[in-house]
Amino acid sequence: MELQGRVAVITGGTRGIGRAIAEAYLADGASVVINGRSADKGAEAIREMNGGDRVFFVQGDVKSREGCQAIIDAAIAKYGKIDIMVNNAGGSTDNAQVVDLTDEALDNALKWNLWSTFWCTQMALRDMLPRGWGRIINISSLEGKHGKPGVSIYVTAKHAINGLTKSCAQEIGTTGVTINCICPGAIETDTMRDEGPGAAVAMGMTYQDLLDWFASEAAIKRLNSCDEVAAVASLLASEAGAGITGSMISVDGGTAAY
Amino acid sequence: MGKLDGKVAAITGSTRSIGRAIAEAYLREGAQVVINGRSAEKGAVAMKEMGGGANVAFFAGDARNQKDCEGIVDFAIEKFGKLDIMVLNSGGVENTAPVAQMTDEEWMLEVTWNLHSVFWGMRKALQHMIPREAGRIIVTSSVEGKLGKPGIPGYAATKHAVLGLMKSAAHEVGTLNITVNAILPGIIETDIVRETGPDSAIAMGLGTYENMIALFCKESAIKRPNKVEEVAEVAVLLARDVAAGITGTSFPVDGGTMPY
Repeated sequence: MELQGRVAVITGGTRGIGRAIAEAYLADGASVVINGRSADKGAEAIREMNGGDRVFFVQGDVKSREGCQAIIDAAIAKYGKIDIMVNNAGGSTDNAQVVDLTDEALDNALKWNLWSTFWCTQMALRDMLPRGWGRIINISSLEGKHGKPGVSIYVTAKHAINGLTKSCAQEIGTTGVTINCICPGAIETDTMRDEGPGAAVAMGMTYQDLLDWFASEAAIKRLNSCDEVAAVASLLASEAGAGITGSMISVDGGTAAY
Repeated sequence: MGKLDGKVAAITGSTRSIGRAIAEAYLREGAQVVINGRSAEKGAVAMKEMGGGANVAFFAGDARNQKDCEGIVDFAIEKFGKLDIMVLNSGGVENTAPVAQMTDEEWMLEVTWNLHSVFWGMRKALQHMIPREAGRIIVTSSVEGKLGKPGIPGYAATKHAVLGLMKSAAHEVGTLNITVNAILPGIIETDIVRETGPDSAIAMGLGTYENMIALFCKESAIKRPNKVEEVAEVAVLLARDVAAGITGTSFPVDGGTMPY
């Protein structure tokens, strides 16, 4: 029970990667706050996870400072502190090639991925720094290192998260708080199924072509799985993670060049 | 229930320091472990200290010797019936020097110790793992696998080179449930660093061992050396079944030192 007594907050934790991380932390002994926009999906997740008093759902949207603040406040009200902050919520809609891109699409992707990560990081740090222990884990992407056509808003936001992470790691390096990114390859989560077809159009291909493209670039010739990301998130949250900070950990089956 | 129940691991250069910490973590997680080193005496001490009973075996051998690098694979199979996890950890420098003063002998030694040994061990392990379609290969590289400090050109060159070897092999066996990854630790005050560090510090133009350690710490975000346990837990993660989708990765354990 490596995370006994720890409190973790995971944005966008009702399904997909966030959910897998929440379940891994729960299995490791932590109390877990999950978040999502839909109360129905939240209730379903709570029921399926079956974690009793160690799982708590906060409905809310991370695309505003107030939304993030509400999640952080609810977590502290429920469990008294935040030890592990997983900035997992994110995505992009209205993807288009740069030449056709709207300001609104970019702004929305930045709010969803970058601003939310900034807000929750800042708020969590204010709880962690005085206590001298903390783990911030940002779910970036393979596209935080590479770039595919048609999804520039996503690629831009994920690259920016990597920069935020590296700089912040240098700021807080001696405080007992670490901050890292996990960079997963493509995973066929519900979010991917929802947004993938639109992204594929912007990339000039079918959804199946998009999935095949990601798989073909990987050494493993398949997509990744949520459990593979969760295993790394467990490691980074553990005591042994104290010496790992400012890192961009690839979970991409051998796709990223670095 | 351990994370590595039923697995067999072999770790080169593992009677002390990083290799030893990995061996102990694997043992704790339920694996059977072959440890290795040049000195039978140190091997006996390690075996006694680890207290793993029949789940640990020592293979006396020098990683700078092809026969020994391949021998550890045969030994593990003979002893425990198979090899699931190969950790290519042995490496170091003896009398390092700036390029202009580097002797052929030292250059050769470092290439043999840090690169050839990894190739020999990897090739032999893959020949066993490929037909079984199962395996984990973990190479201990270094922050110097991405950076490069003055006075340690052979170390930096070979630690870079093993990353190229790792990436290429990862793509060769990517669909066979065999992963190939590297861990890149920052400076750790292991026995071997204490032994060879003072000479390295002079070659690096830093004068003393303390100055060398201080330079590494200063470059990190955590402003301290790393610990062998921090590396060992990453080695556990990469060895697990759940890590099947992590391959070709250069995994930093450097307290925020490397820029990428």
